[in-house]
Amino acid sequence: MKKIARIVFSMKFALALLGILLAACLAGSVIPQGKEASYYLSEYSEQAGGAILALGLDDVFHCAWFVLLAVVLCLNLTGCNIVHFPSLLERSRNGFSPERYKRSGRAKELSVSGSPEELFESCGFHRLVRGTGGDGKEYIYGVKNRAGIWGAWLCHLGMLIVILGFGLGQMKQVSFAVYGVPGQTKTVEGTGYELTIDDFAVDLRPDDTVEQYTASITMRDTATGESRSGQTSVNHPATLFGMRCYQNSTGWAATVQVWKEDRMIQEEVLCAGEYMNVEDKEGLAVMFAAFYPDYAEGEDGMPGTASSKLQNPAYLYRLYYRNEILGMNVLGAKEAITVDAYTIIFTDSQNYTLIQIKRDPFTWLAAIGAAIVMTGLFFAFYLRTAEVYAERKEDGSWSVSGYSRKGGPEFEDQLKQSQA
Amino acid sequence: MSSEQFLNLENVLFTVAMIGYLAAMVLYWLFFVLKKNMVGKGADCFAAAAFLLHTGALVIRGIGAGRLPLSNQYEFATSFAWGICACYLFFLWKYKFRALGAFVTPVIFLVIGYAAMQSREVRELMPALRSHWLAIHVSSAIISYGAFGVSFAVSLMFLIRQGKEDSPFWQEHIPDGKRLDLISYRAVSLGFLFLTFVMISGAIWAERAWGSYWSWDPKETWSLITWIIYAIYLHLRISRGWKGKSAALFAVIGFICVIFTYIGVNTFLPGIHSYA
Ligand code: HEM
Repeated sequence: MKKIARIVFSMKFALALLGILLAACLAGSVIPQGKEASYYLSEYSEQAGGAILALGLDDVFHCAWFVLLAVVLCLNLTGCNIVHFPSLLERSRNGFSPERYKRSGRAKELSVSGSPEELFESCGFHRLVRGTGGDGKEYIYGVKNRAGIWGAWLCHLGMLIVILGFGLGQMKQVSFAVYGVPGQTKTVEGTGYELTIDDFAVDLRPDDTVEQYTASITMRDTATGESRSGQTSVNHPATLFGMRCYQNSTGWAATVQVWKEDRMIQEEVLCAGEYMNVEDKEGLAVMFAAFYPDYAEGEDGMPGTASSKLQNPAYLYRLYYRNEILGMNVLGAKEAITVDAYTIIFTDSQNYTLIQIKRDPFTWLAAIGAAIVMTGLFFAFYLRTAEVYAERKEDGSWSVSGYSRKGGPEFEDQLKQSQA
Repeated sequence: MSSEQFLNLENVLFTVAMIGYLAAMVLYWLFFVLKKNMVGKGADCFAAAAFLLHTGALVIRGIGAGRLPLSNQYEFATSFAWGICACYLFFLWKYKFRALGAFVTPVIFLVIGYAAMQSREVRELMPALRSHWLAIHVSSAIISYGAFGVSFAVSLMFLIRQGKEDSPFWQEHIPDGKRLDLISYRAVSLGFLFLTFVMISGAIWAERAWGSYWSWDPKETWSLITWIIYAIYLHLRISRGWKGKSAALFAVIGFICVIFTYIGVNTFLPGIHSYA
């Protein structure tokens, strides 16, 4: 058991896991993810496609072995940190002392004339310990950046928390998309909330490019009637009832009216791509296929738009009867479709907004993990633990030495240079 | 000044800086061949002067565009070259290690050459790209990539050095293997710290803009691949017996991944970063 633990918690094993993770990432970035099985079979050779599907490489980052890999990596990280914790604690409590330093015998000796205190101070050792050793020799000892020994440990802890936060988030997060035009209220499926789009504005720059999309929204708890309002724009999501609301995308919507004998019998707002059934005539449906805000026919005779400004609106529609297409065409602003006794018109074109609503209850955990990783890295790389030691020789001069595992030859150079 | 005048001034500074880097590269190589200190010093001067002009070009572009010049392929490429040069000059100052220039300047020249081939048009940004987090994300990427560029050059030297330890020129101008390993490690640590921050700030931006802080988009995945390779480098250095050659090899592979993450992903793989 102990032997297995030693292997599983070892750095070699960690390197092997990182290697597999690397391979998974390579596969996941090169092979298109999340497509139909038929795609892989037709795009790759039959064998390669079959292998991709069998190994789950069509959705690497969510397949069972990838999840298992993440779990084993977490175990490895946890084990590694548990194994190293006692010795780190011991080192940080008792590891830095003149006695230990002398016993370690690592120091390379440098001779200095004059007082070593100044030298040590100039190298950043401010709290020096003076004393007399068991052998009756006078010494001066200093240590700096002791916290640095915790760097890698903190980094591993942080990684563990990041993976945990991300994994839990993947399991528990919920996401909904709601779209509509100002004035519309839609239910947010399965949450017990309703979302009203109060307003939606597209700010254009003088050159016709978009500066910002901003939606004003209100979320209402249908059980209690309590409601909260906010504004969401790109890069500035609103948080309502603990849910993040993102201004995700936009498109065109229009009001479609059905008239019969000079009387409007039906009116609905459709977003481009949607259709509606004519209630008065079973089987008749009209689809709002596309919108051209500034209609212009292209050179190839296909419908298109000259700009994104709303100055010459036109609508591409399709008409169905019992699922058979009756006709399709482009309709100008003042034009109408006539079928039997019905007249259908498109009017009041406006932008609709698509609001993405998300709740990931574990983002904060991943964020804390990330902060710990950064702290750990800073400790590991920039708080380089170092020790200095001076001992009075019989002739009254001092013999000086210093050691820093992370500082390496650079630290020795620094001591030598300061001495010069 | 009109935006056209800004662009013209930037063009002049950029072109002169590019020629400066080319001259520095040639002089560093001559320094290597002729082994004359004067030539090396001249190379340093050219590199520093080119860097100053390059900085000027970036500042002018920033003023002209009214934002940090970090938003399209050209701007990022020129900033990337700038970052490598900044890191190189820092390491030159810190470690007095001039011969490194012979290996770093070609990388700078290649990256700035790539920038020169991109469109320099100043365009307004789409709303998703107007974010402070994005600016922080890209600025840290420049430092990170710059540091990795330096570690790449040092590791190449480490690999080439083997067998030449006895040559007087190498002894005088190129640190011993232990020191090269340490310098490469310092560069990788700086790069790794910043790369971690690049990924974190990118995640924060993605969360605010798209609603998901990590979505395995190819660019994200490739930055993770790069990150893992450098993590392996860090662990290899610690485990006894692997220090030196193998670690150096990983630093070289790591930088190839950096380049691929930056150029290859946009070219070969689709994703939300593709417009960058
Ligand atoms: C994604 C995973 C990991 C990351 C990002 C990571 C990161 C790091 C970093 C940054 C260091 C410090 C390197 C230095 O100071 O030069 C380090 C050291 C170390 N890592 Fe990891 N590590 C990971 C996984 C692991 C695992 C799973 C183990 C388990 C065996 C491990 C074992 C070690 C050891 C033993 C050290 C040396 C500690 C020391 O010098 O005091 N690492 N790691």
